[in-house]
Amino acid sequence: MTEPTKELLNVSGLSITARVGDRDLRLLEDVDLEIGRGEIVGVVGESGSGKTTLARAVVGLLEKNVRVGGGSISLSGDEIVAPGVDRTGKVRGTAVGMVFQDASRSLNPLMKVRAHLAEVLRRHVKEITKDEVERRSVEVLEQMRITDAARVLDSYPHQLSGGLRQRVAIGLAVVTRPSMVIADECTTALDVTTQTKVVGLFRTLVDELGIGLLFVTHDLMLASDLCDRIAVMNSGRVVEQGPAMEVLDRPREDYTQRLLAAIPTWT
Amino acid sequence: MSQIELEPLTQGDAPEARKGRRSRTSVFWLSVPLVVIAALVFILPITGLLPEGGQDLSNTRLPPAFLDGGTWAHPLGTDKRGQDILTQLVTSGRLTIMIGLVGALVAIGPGVLIGLVAGYFRGWADKVISILIDAQLALPFILIALAIISNRGSSLPILFLVLALTGWAACARVTRSTTMAIRERQFVLGLRAVGASEARIVFRHVLPNLAGTIVALGTLQVGTAILVESALSFLGLGVVPPKSSWGSMLASGQDELSQAWWIAFFPGLAITVLVLLVNLLGDALLTHHDPRKRRR
Repeated sequence: MTEPTKELLNVSGLSITARVGDRDLRLLEDVDLEIGRGEIVGVVGESGSGKTTLARAVVGLLEKNVRVGGGSISLSGDEIVAPGVDRTGKVRGTAVGMVFQDASRSLNPLMKVRAHLAEVLRRHVKEITKDEVERRSVEVLEQMRITDAARVLDSYPHQLSGGLRQRVAIGLAVVTRPSMVIADECTTALDVTTQTKVVGLFRTLVDELGIGLLFVTHDLMLASDLCDRIAVMNSGRVVEQGPAMEVLDRPREDYTQRLLAAIPTWT
Repeated sequence: MSQIELEPLTQGDAPEARKGRRSRTSVFWLSVPLVVIAALVFILPITGLLPEGGQDLSNTRLPPAFLDGGTWAHPLGTDKRGQDILTQLVTSGRLTIMIGLVGALVAIGPGVLIGLVAGYFRGWADKVISILIDAQLALPFILIALAIISNRGSSLPILFLVLALTGWAACARVTRSTTMAIRERQFVLGLRAVGASEARIVFRHVLPNLAGTIVALGTLQVGTAILVESALSFLGLGVVPPKSSWGSMLASGQDELSQAWWIAFFPGLAITVLVLLVNLLGDALLTHHDPRKRRR
């Protein structure tokens, strides 16, 4: 049984700096964020606000010149990131899955979908048999609402449509049955109708699998559709955080108001 | 049971499909003459169809059979010692092809590996390797060849050492820059995100994506190896008698050009055709390797 409110990911007081030349640049400052099982938390903000840095810090995919200056990240109660501590290698690909912006570039163009899935499964599931790999590959594609799984498995990434490709990428992230998925701008490269479908897919996945989803986007409307809670970021800080409707309907912060005002309207 | 499968061919992807098919057929049609050359060179000597290869001082500098004074006993003529050119061409072809293939391998193997390490891991390893590459490329090839061969004498292992030393730097530099481009692609980040190890990313994902480059380098290097060997043999530093290659045949025919042009012409033609075919095949393979350009 998964309690919707049970704490899964806990980011507290996280500060991250990048060393550029002989100066330290603050990327994140004192960021607090919590995600529970079965919960979707949206992180919104403009380019350079630190959304992606936050997402990548959880899986330890930061650049070499970037280090954690303070605070910590813990997953299911275990500390995985703290100053001088990096235990993300243990959760990467197993407990945490990640989906990237553009699936046409996040899949190896020389490998069929089958090989992509098999690679992840073989890496993370001990002594998995060939039949089991096949079974779980088909299973996860069906979970992604892909009807002709057999054909998709035998396709190269470029032979699939953008939406299908992104669903394969999501499948790749959840095939190891992680407890948490991070989606970094993963709908940005899609057209609006495909976006809606992918977003709907995320909702059902979160409800079905009871995972926590960290949904990074710059699209406020999309975030309000999908997310339970929203954190608004600006220049490395979380300026406002709360239930999605509350943040969008009654923005307290000046920055959030300006973000909302920047959305074009029909009138 | 007869079953007709219709290709789902929409108008949209038709030109691409046709292009892919052309690449596959060109790979085939370029392989045919190469296989024929290899077969001639390796099978003809054991059939006993070739003219006697020994010296025959009564028949020196005989022209090819299709010219006045030529005989079909020596279809491509004889050299200044009366040795049959066709027989020499076939027997030295073996050594030439071997030098081309092994010479390319010894340059590409280390070159690609070094370039891969430098391009993927960057850092101090990259700095050291880059300096080494620059230093190597700054040294004239002929100087290295002279230094090594005058010190160690000329033999096949030494020839391969020279080919490796002169060829690795260019391979490493090209591989390094291509690797640097590939490592920045998002799927590498994706692989890290699913927990793939660095070694696995480098050898199972980055290396296959380099295949096109490696094939192109490889075929170029086969051509280069054959040409370098010819040049060294020409200077008397490469293959020395009793062994002979197309390069050494070319060299021995060069002072006879005004009286007996065929001695140098046929090995020269053989080198040109072989190197050209190998380079064209490399081009075709390059297109063929990429599944995006290949027909399903």
